[in-house]
This record gives sequence, C-alpha cells and structure tokens, in this order.
Amino acid sequence: MTEGFVAVINALPYMLKGSLVTIGVVFGAMGLGLSLGVPLAVGLVYGPGWLRKIIGFYVWFFRGVPLLVLLFLFYFGLFSWMGINFSAFSAGTIVLGLISAAYQSQIFRGAMLSLPEGQLKAARALGMSDVKAILFIILPQALRLSVPGWSNEYSIVLKDSAVTYALGVAEIMARTHFVASRTYQHLPLYIAAGMMYLLMTYIGVKGLRILEKNVRIPGYSY
Amino acid sequence: MRMRILVGIVLVVSCLFWVNVNLGSAEEKVIINGIDANFPPFAYVDKNGNPDGFDVKSVDWIAKEMGFKVKHQPMDWDGIIPSLNAKKIDMIASGLSVTDERKKQVAYTIPYWVIKQVLVVKNDSDLTPETALANGNKIGVQRGTSEAKWMEENLIKKEGKDFELVYYDSAPLSVEDVLNGRIVAAAMDDAPANDAVSKKPVKIIGGFGMHDEEFAYAVRQDDADLLNTLNEGLKKLMASPEWEELQKQYDLKQ
Repeated sequence: MTEGFVAVINALPYMLKGSLVTIGVVFGAMGLGLSLGVPLAVGLVYGPGWLRKIIGFYVWFFRGVPLLVLLFLFYFGLFSWMGINFSAFSAGTIVLGLISAAYQSQIFRGAMLSLPEGQLKAARALGMSDVKAILFIILPQALRLSVPGWSNEYSIVLKDSAVTYALGVAEIMARTHFVASRTYQHLPLYIAAGMMYLLMTYIGVKGLRILEKNVRIPGYSY
Repeated sequence: MRMRILVGIVLVVSCLFWVNVNLGSAEEKVIINGIDANFPPFAYVDKNGNPDGFDVKSVDWIAKEMGFKVKHQPMDWDGIIPSLNAKKIDMIASGLSVTDERKKQVAYTIPYWVIKQVLVVKNDSDLTPETALANGNKIGVQRGTSEAKWMEENLIKKEGKDFELVYYDSAPLSVEDVLNGRIVAAAMDDAPANDAVSKKPVKIIGGFGMHDEEFAYAVRQDDADLLNTLNEGLKKLMASPEWEELQKQYDLKQ
C-alpha cells in the first residue's frame, strides 16, 4: 500500500496539471452551452413553429446520441471533412459544449415557462417590444431560476469530460491511465483521480449555491 | 447591480471558451508523433509527465540529427491510425507492428525491432500456452492490436480453439485483470510483458504460435518527404553506438 501511496504522491503534480485541462474543457463547454442554450431556449418558447422544429431536432439529436459516438463522429469525421483541424482539446470542448447547449436549453426553457404569462402581456401593454421584454423582463428572472439546474449540468459536464480521454485529451483520466501503465498502481491512482473529481464537483456546486443565494430577489414570488 | 454581475459572469465564461479554442489551435509547425503512452518501455510518460521511452528517445535523436522539430502526442491506441490519416498527427513511432492490413492505410519506414508475442500469467499459475488457450478460458488482449486480430482469425476461427478473448484499453490493464483473476492470461508483445514482470507478480509462459513481428514507424502514404527523412535517420541511428545505449537504457533485449 505504501508503494501505491508513493506512486500517487509522485504523480500528483502531473495529475493536478490534468485537472487544469479538465477545468478548461468544462469551462469552455459550459460557456458554449450557455451562449447557445439561452438563444435556443428563447427560440423554443417564443419562436415561430419552423424554428421550434429545427431547435427541437437539434436537442433531440444531441441528447439522443452517446457522447463517445459524437466525439468520434466530430473529431475523426465531421471536422476533418469540413477541413477544420481542431486539436483534440478544442474538438472535445466543442462537442461537450454542443451537447450541453441541448440540455441547458431545456433548463432555461423550463425556467421561462414557469414565469406567469401575464408578464409578457404587461410589458407589451407598457409599450415594450417583444425583444426588449424577453431581454429585460423574462431572461433576468429565468436565468436566476436556472442556477440550480445549471449546477446539476455542471457536475454532469465535469464527469463527461473524462470521456474526452478517448481523443487523447491529456485530462485527469488520461494522465491517470498513463501513470498507472508505468507504475502498475492502478487502484490507488484511480482512487486519487476519483477524489479529484469529487473535490471539483464540490467546489463548483458550492460556488453556484453561493451565486444562487446572491442573485435571489428577497421576498419575491410569482 | 446583481444582474450586471450575472451578465458579467456569462460574458466572461463565454469569452473563456473562445480563448480556449484559440489557444488550442495556435500551434507552431512541428512534426507531431502520436504515441500510445500506455506502452512501456517503448512509449510512456515519465514522473514529470514528459513523454519518454525507447521510441520517443529514438525519434528525438533522429529529429536532432535530421534537423526537424518533433512533439510527442500521447493518445488512445484505437484512434492512432485514423488520427494519422486525419492529419491530427504526422507520424506514429510507438511500437507499431507491420501488418499487411495496416500497409493499406499507412506507409512504413524500415523495421527497427523484432518482437515476439507472449502470454503472461500469475506467478503461482501452472498453465502452459496449450492449457491456457483451452477449456473456455478467458484471455486478455489489447484492443486494436495485431495480436488481437491474429488470435481471432487464426486460433479461434481457423483452429477452433476453445477460449474467449477479452479486450482491454492497454496491455497494463490486461495484466491488472490477470492479477484480479478475471482472465487467466494476457497476450502481448514481449517487451511490455518483461516490463510487467519487473513490476508485478506475473510471469511469461511463452508464445502462442504467432509469427514474430517487426516494429516500424508509420507516416501518411502521401508523405514521402517525411518517410525518406525518417528512413535516413533510422539508418544513421541504428549504425551509431547510441542505438546500443538506448537498448540498455530501456532494458530491451533482442
């Protein structure tokens, strides 16, 4: 067991550097998911029928195909075919982001639908355009309501990021495997990797809980 | 005010994403060598996380001698040939054995090493290659390797031997499962098998009838320049005293 402990200590700096790569993938994917997910959700709730159909198709596709299949499909297939030479890191981040956008659009959609319909009517009655009403009345409330769902999505994306190791992204999982191959200390090393993921989930969820409390409007209900 | 903070966070997170992408793609033009870093002693990562191994150091020597820059990119073995042809990497120097099947997809350099295929079992096991590959035993092998393909086609399909192949992501993981008792033996190249024997209570019980294989580097078929450079570099390396040194350093015996 001491052998395993020594192996973990020796590998720790290398694995911690991997956690930075993991954080990069997760931040990139969550950022892309957010910047695509909000417009997708607005389109789903307020868009015309044809737009809703297109977005519905997007959500159906990215929620329905396994992550590993999408990673291989985009990295070896689609991106190469389009002539874009993304690194494994970028490709993994983009694919995770596209998937996350599908899930996040549902989080925001749920939050928007939970707001009373009368608000939009009231905004129109005050002379606001629909775009203005959505930007300044609906979204500020919906985004606040979405934080709990978003923290759920964060922990899912964090764990899914481990799968990008199949493309050769040198994140925690890939590095753990490399060290284990050299030292043959599989069990202690994978325990250490698991603990790193647990810690990152804890910190992220805790941070989002604080955000949730801070953006809450006191005494406000619908 | 709080709304502004929220909007700010949204913007920063979105920006981080694009910065990431740009950092990822803005790389200097160097030859990228794809390695299976789970293949000691030919290719692995050292304590500091740098690529190391017999193949890695050989290519470093050749790069220096022939005047090009090289970067070693650890990746998953399954995707290594697709990655080469998708131009994610420029060459493979990572204990890649020469097979007719692969010759259709890549161009090989001159061979630099001969490898034997062996079976690895627990130290206290009394199995022989004959008894191991019978009685419905489970035998581990790395997915996507030439030995996996050969065992499927020749031992199971042609000779009708009664054993089951279990596929692993790397040779060390199959050794781990030999120790766990899920499989009775693991089939692999002799060099990583020797590496396993030096680190774990396992032993080599001999070959299983597969022909010897040659290791060579691989490049894309239309990349004649790099192929010539590597061939010339390999010849120089194998003629130099450094070649013996490298073999000693990585405990390789021909």
